[in-house]
Amino acid sequence: MSTHGHSDKFVYHEPGLQHQFSDMEQQEESVSIGMWMFLAQEIMFFGGLFTAYLVFRSKYPMAFAAGSNHLDAFWGGLNTIVLIVSSLTMALTVYYAQKGNRNLQMLFIVLTMIFGATFLGVKAIEYNDKFHHGLVPIAGLNKRERGTAGAEQHPEGKPCWEVAEHGSEHEYVNPKGEFEWADCSLAKMAQDEGYLTTAEKTGYFANGELDGNKFRDKVRIFYYLYFVMTGLHALHMIIGLGLMAWLLWTAYRGYYNADYYMPVEMSGLYWHFVDIVWIFLFPLLYLLGRHFTHGGH
Amino acid sequence: MNAQDAVLETGYNSGIPPVNYLNIKTTLASWLLTKDHKRIAIMYLISVSVFFMIGGLFAATIRLELLTPASDLLETGTYNKVFTEHGIMMIFFFLIPSIPAVLGNFLIPIMIGAKDLALPRINLLSLYIYWTAGALALYGLMVGGVDTGWTFYTPYSTTFSNTYVMIVGLAIFINGFSSILTGLNFIVTIHTMRAPGMTWFRLPLFVWAHYAVSLVMILGTPVVAITVLLVAIERVSRVGIFDPSIGGDPILFQHLFWFYSHPAVYIMVLPGMGVVSELISNFSRKKIFGYEFIAFSSIAIAVFGFLVWGHHLFVSGQSPYAGMVFSFLTMVVAVPSAIKMFNWTATLYKGSVSFDTPMLYGLGFMGLFLIGGLTGLFLGSMGLDVHLTDTYFVVAHFHYVMVGGQVIAYLGGIHYWWPKMTGRMYSEFWGKISAMLVFVGFNLTFFPQFLLGYMGMPRRYAAYPPEFQVLNIFSTAGASVLGIGMLMPVIYLLHSLKFGKPAGDNPWMLPGLEWRTTSPPPLENFATPPVVTWEAYEFGEGSGLDLEEARRRAAAPATL
Repeated sequence: MSTHGHSDKFVYHEPGLQHQFSDMEQQEESVSIGMWMFLAQEIMFFGGLFTAYLVFRSKYPMAFAAGSNHLDAFWGGLNTIVLIVSSLTMALTVYYAQKGNRNLQMLFIVLTMIFGATFLGVKAIEYNDKFHHGLVPIAGLNKRERGTAGAEQHPEGKPCWEVAEHGSEHEYVNPKGEFEWADCSLAKMAQDEGYLTTAEKTGYFANGELDGNKFRDKVRIFYYLYFVMTGLHALHMIIGLGLMAWLLWTAYRGYYNADYYMPVEMSGLYWHFVDIVWIFLFPLLYLLGRHFTHGGH
Repeated sequence: MNAQDAVLETGYNSGIPPVNYLNIKTTLASWLLTKDHKRIAIMYLISVSVFFMIGGLFAATIRLELLTPASDLLETGTYNKVFTEHGIMMIFFFLIPSIPAVLGNFLIPIMIGAKDLALPRINLLSLYIYWTAGALALYGLMVGGVDTGWTFYTPYSTTFSNTYVMIVGLAIFINGFSSILTGLNFIVTIHTMRAPGMTWFRLPLFVWAHYAVSLVMILGTPVVAITVLLVAIERVSRVGIFDPSIGGDPILFQHLFWFYSHPAVYIMVLPGMGVVSELISNFSRKKIFGYEFIAFSSIAIAVFGFLVWGHHLFVSGQSPYAGMVFSFLTMVVAVPSAIKMFNWTATLYKGSVSFDTPMLYGLGFMGLFLIGGLTGLFLGSMGLDVHLTDTYFVVAHFHYVMVGGQVIAYLGGIHYWWPKMTGRMYSEFWGKISAMLVFVGFNLTFFPQFLLGYMGMPRRYAAYPPEFQVLNIFSTAGASVLGIGMLMPVIYLLHSLKFGKPAGDNPWMLPGLEWRTTSPPPLENFATPPVVTWEAYEFGEGSGLDLEEARRRAAAPATL
């Protein structure tokens, strides 16, 4: 074989072009369609959870409103802003990768990672709050607290729709770390004003009376969905941070330029997708039911 | 003159090319780390065969137990585990990957003239995910198995079952991603990797069927994955949304489960339809009748298939109005299936039909799928379904579609493309015997079950009233014949690897792209990148085939 470069066997391969493709355009199109298909399956993956949310929210709107009102819309709103800004920095990362500006590209990857980490930090604060208030739906995973001698777990003799007035005053007592929810005043309100759903008319009542335990079970379903949905979303965020770390390393090594930036763009698509999932989670979990004045801290 | 040059000069090569994808490297690592779609397909072939045999052993156990009315061979609890494992092995680890991951993986890139799938590393990843899931499922089976039925209905699976639901559920969750990645890869490949001149309407219908099936894999599988995950969380934590005693809704589970699992039955038959389109057209040596209709009926089945899941819930407490809609849509989904049947029949009409082994399977498919499909309409009618729900009629129906459809088509496809995959020809004599044994054995096994079901024998019980025994004996006898028929290919196909005659590039003299490369194909499928100038299933002058050679060999078939 000739060493002068005249051989027919010599084929110029652009860096990053894999053997099965004939040119970069074909490779980029393939990777792009693949990523969109992956996102389509992600939508269906989260779709199962959104369906479950829809079913139970339409069955037990009052329990869901009660649970939702206890989430802190401030933290949720802050996280929404953080994620939207991180999408901007992500988009700028792609932009500077296309421009071949390594330093600005790395800067914006770092900023995206900082915002992503901030989101997870806020999520940790919120989960911690649930842990301290007995709102983790799985028994045993809440803070265990015997309480001072004489403290009562529930105000004695009060029906569940009147315990709210004691509200934050009463001490947190939860020796087994179980899910706790005492206040059913929203259900009482709906009953008085006559807009309980059919499912609620059987789901909250025992012997014709509003039943605190049965109401609690429905609020627990809200928190179960809250934890599964936000937990799965947080897992996607963690994977996204891993992607960013890899991008940072490869960008540092100077892999990307105007001709080859697909990995950055694809990671960007993933990041925006995770952002969009949160854009749906935030109103569904934090905001729907705010107009009921009861509940909250 | 080496074999590659022989192809270039004469357009036909009758020997085994000295360098091909099988012998280019032979170390274990070269197989385990390969990104070649053909090697991955071969590894899938071996793996699904193992699971098929395990599932088959469970089936044999079931049929032996049902030989007598009493529950004597197995305890009832063990019987529950056996039919569950049979279902899980066959559905998740054999039927769903069978044709797509083996034949689709091997053939789609070759059929469209590509060097490989678009995403070879993802392809290898999907194999490893499949192995992980399979190992986990086998582990779950060995430590004690699972007895919920393959459907995992709640609250039995979440609250009451005292078996290894978690392990097997996790295996199914993981396995789903293997299926998703395969589907994703196919869609990308079909979109971007077609050779010059290979337009959408020149694609073989096998490829169209796989496009449709990939849509179902991508959009359906994640839903069952999240559902199984929720079942697992609920089982561990006793908190969840499916058990009514804690406020949950078991019907929601059935909706979510069947939203995937009904489309999944189309994953289990659409690829078979793709294979049969190839077989019927090629062995009639006639352009397929109504190409566009068959292509779009695959897409229509995939789309409508997503809208009919409620017919599994007619007696589960679903609203009767929802039931009426689902019943109507079930009738609608029969239309594209019927379109295919009519078009295949019209293709046979005045074709030059030859009855080689693959064609015997192809014709067998048409007969069995016809019965399976029409009895599906019985079950899709709300009123009749009340009588037939959870009887052996249902069992017979879905075995006619899944075994009579997909497994028969899979066997037909394996025989048809075996010379391409291995370069060797199997024994046609034994192939025909086995195809006929499978057909007869299958009908003897499952036709009596229609009668049993109609008379009211419920499914999933180890014992039954004595008056059902005669038909059950027929069924078990048929299963023995079927089992022998299925084992025979294992023997003569393996035998052919060493002793079979070299098949040559194009043993059937067909125009498809896969027959225009060497057998077995080289590493990147074609010595020179192909350019397509002919229509699909073109048997005339336009195909670019050496018709003289075809005639010569038709006159002297002994040279094969």
